[in-house]
Amino acid sequence: MVLLGEIVEGGSLNIIGMGQSSSKGVLKGDIVDFHAASDCAHAAILSAEDQAGVKIDGVYLAVSGSDVNGFPSEASVNVTPAEGRVSQEDIDQVSDLAKGRDLPEERVVIHHLRRPYRLDSRSVEKPLNLEGERLEASYWTVHGNARKIGDAIHIINGFNLHVDDVILSALAAGSVVASEEEKQRGCLVIDIGRGSTDYAAYQGGRCVLAGSFPLGGDHISNDLSIGLRMRLNQAESLKHRYGSAIVEHKDKGEKVWLNNDFEIGDRPIRLWSIEKIIELRMTEIFEVISKKLGSLGRGERLGGGVILCGGGASLRNCEQSAEGVFGVPARVGDNGTMATGELRESQYSVALGLLKYGLEYQSKLETTESNAPGLFGKLKGLFQ
Amino acid sequence: MSELNAVSDEIRPIRMKVIGVGGAGSNIVDRLMLSNLSDVRLTAINTDQQALANSPVMDKHCIGKTVTRGLGAGGDSEVGREAALADKQLLEEMVKDVDLLFLTAGLGGGTGTGVTPVLADIAVQKGATVIVFVTLPFTIERAARSNAAKAGLDKLREVANAVIPLPNDLLIQESEPDASLLEAFSQADAWIEKAIKSIRSMMNKTGLINLDFSQLQQVFANRSSKTLFGLGEGSGENATDAAIADLKLCPLLHTPEFSKKADHLLVNLVGGTSLGISETQRIMDSITDAFGKDANVVIGAVIDESMGDRVEICVIGTSGSSDVSIFRGRRRMKVPSPNSVELETPEVPKKAPKKSKKTHAKSQKAEQHEFSFNEGEPRGEFENTEGTMFEGQDLDTPTFLRRGVRIPV
Repeated sequence: MVLLGEIVEGGSLNIIGMGQSSSKGVLKGDIVDFHAASDCAHAAILSAEDQAGVKIDGVYLAVSGSDVNGFPSEASVNVTPAEGRVSQEDIDQVSDLAKGRDLPEERVVIHHLRRPYRLDSRSVEKPLNLEGERLEASYWTVHGNARKIGDAIHIINGFNLHVDDVILSALAAGSVVASEEEKQRGCLVIDIGRGSTDYAAYQGGRCVLAGSFPLGGDHISNDLSIGLRMRLNQAESLKHRYGSAIVEHKDKGEKVWLNNDFEIGDRPIRLWSIEKIIELRMTEIFEVISKKLGSLGRGERLGGGVILCGGGASLRNCEQSAEGVFGVPARVGDNGTMATGELRESQYSVALGLLKYGLEYQSKLETTESNAPGLFGKLKGLFQ
Repeated sequence: MSELNAVSDEIRPIRMKVIGVGGAGSNIVDRLMLSNLSDVRLTAINTDQQALANSPVMDKHCIGKTVTRGLGAGGDSEVGREAALADKQLLEEMVKDVDLLFLTAGLGGGTGTGVTPVLADIAVQKGATVIVFVTLPFTIERAARSNAAKAGLDKLREVANAVIPLPNDLLIQESEPDASLLEAFSQADAWIEKAIKSIRSMMNKTGLINLDFSQLQQVFANRSSKTLFGLGEGSGENATDAAIADLKLCPLLHTPEFSKKADHLLVNLVGGTSLGISETQRIMDSITDAFGKDANVVIGAVIDESMGDRVEICVIGTSGSSDVSIFRGRRRMKVPSPNSVELETPEVPKKAPKKSKKTHAKSQKAEQHEFSFNEGEPRGEFENTEGTMFEGQDLDTPTFLRRGVRIPV
């Protein structure tokens, strides 16, 4: 999916084009068929460009999938004793130390998510000029497989387009669907995609932990196809028509038609079975996230609740399923702060988030390079 | 004189015994008591004298009085083990001259978990073929309990010929949502009862295809890590088809505790007088197809007039065979029975021509059933991808399969 945005003077953003094509050549968030994936990305980019009537300047790419992982990295320094106050150099030094941790081979850093600084074991947001002796910095480092991310960038480069930055899709989505208040109180953004699910946990207004794992909507369809003995596309269609993340129909006798076309081969399917298969899978996806979050996933640290987005969020009752696992209210994300109409739906959250991210990035450039001409940068978010 | 004895020893009937260990185990024996099986001896043992007093079984023993003073093992399997070792002689006496011993117990507590492995070990050394049925605690029960159960299960697998675990979680899934815990438990008892009865009838009743004890021994000759166990029942006009369908949906076949294919397979069929040899062959074909590898499949078919138009299938298999033969004991019966037929795995019939004869609906049905019995856990679309491993499970395999939830089609 491609959204094309235009930054107009004054730093606001207009969405001027949209292109979508159903993803191919991608399994569990990884590119398995370069040509198929390339073709469908190209189709989406072209249709967005056609719609907007402009050429794309730069691309912000959302990544996710099996190989995106995270770990905490920490460092501490003694505050320069001469003053006893934290100087900018101290902060720079400790940040560099924390970020400098070596990654295993073939891994590249996607994000360093800064957690609050700690000054003499107190948590402080801005340590500059505060009195103290020891300053600690902590980052959550999100990293991915260099080869796999390289593949994705290569596809974009294949159309003579430059990838400005790579962003974890849950982070992009989180910047759109979670309100400041929710981030402040602690919330969890979950982006359930076709082949992978991403999560970003917010505490005190900033993202402190994020990750991804290769389970998603495809797994639901696959489960249905195995459990109810049908083709994958039939399972996919059943999921869209009757899917529910919790069992609604307790009566095991209630049935629906598989194809609903009254042709030979159509057969009745138990609604209970459909719902039970999906319920088990969705619950498990949330349980995996809950385990990966550790103490951050506990109810008392998620005052802002759980926000779901991505295609998986359009599954009926997925909020209840998440509530059951996390024990806090859950809602489906809404892009109302950024968009109207169709774009408010949760599957556009990631692409919108990318544009927002790009906007902030560009305006930062603008302020640092003071003589930048009135910027009419055109950005594009692409999400696989 | 001694020669005469030896001869009479060979033609004596198979001696079978069921010993219920601990509270849960004794319940099953109590239940079997009601079915009046004259040729199966029933025994209940416990460390808790009071619990034992309530059992209607005649032959009951309180063991380890020196250890527990008859007050039970208090949930500590080590105490249970000590109790069993303290009364080793009594246990030896109990399993003496038994050919086929069934042990039933609930794992997780003190007595069942502690005593059963000791008893199984003694019985095997005395030359009996030991088949153990155990229930496993709910996963929601505290972790200590399920850890104890796992340890007990591992010990049992080391010593017994076959261990058939029934996870309690499965019972809850199987029963109606508003069923009480007691009803769920009695479901487990019913399964075990059926299995024991089925094996018993295999040994004793006249059959279309007779099984003798040495064949049964062959199936369980090796200690094995995993067993396969399933029951199916059908009645009415298409009783055999219904029974096969029921067997394939048997929830016991869908738990991670069971293997999907067996190296050695024992199939027993009990039906009314209408059960014919051709029908039997058909059932066996489809079952060996579904569960057997290139395995030795031992087949028995029994006519029981009281069955009417009902057909019952019982499948027990073992896999992961080791080369270590379990028969360390003194006695090994080798009585080739002239009227018994051992069927090697029949050549798997080519499916295509078979299907073409059937109607469309039927062939589709057959396909559906075969589908879920692929080698290993099916992963569907993700077949050729690297597994998504998390806490020792491959999450690409459908959740319902890994958790053993039965999904009616």
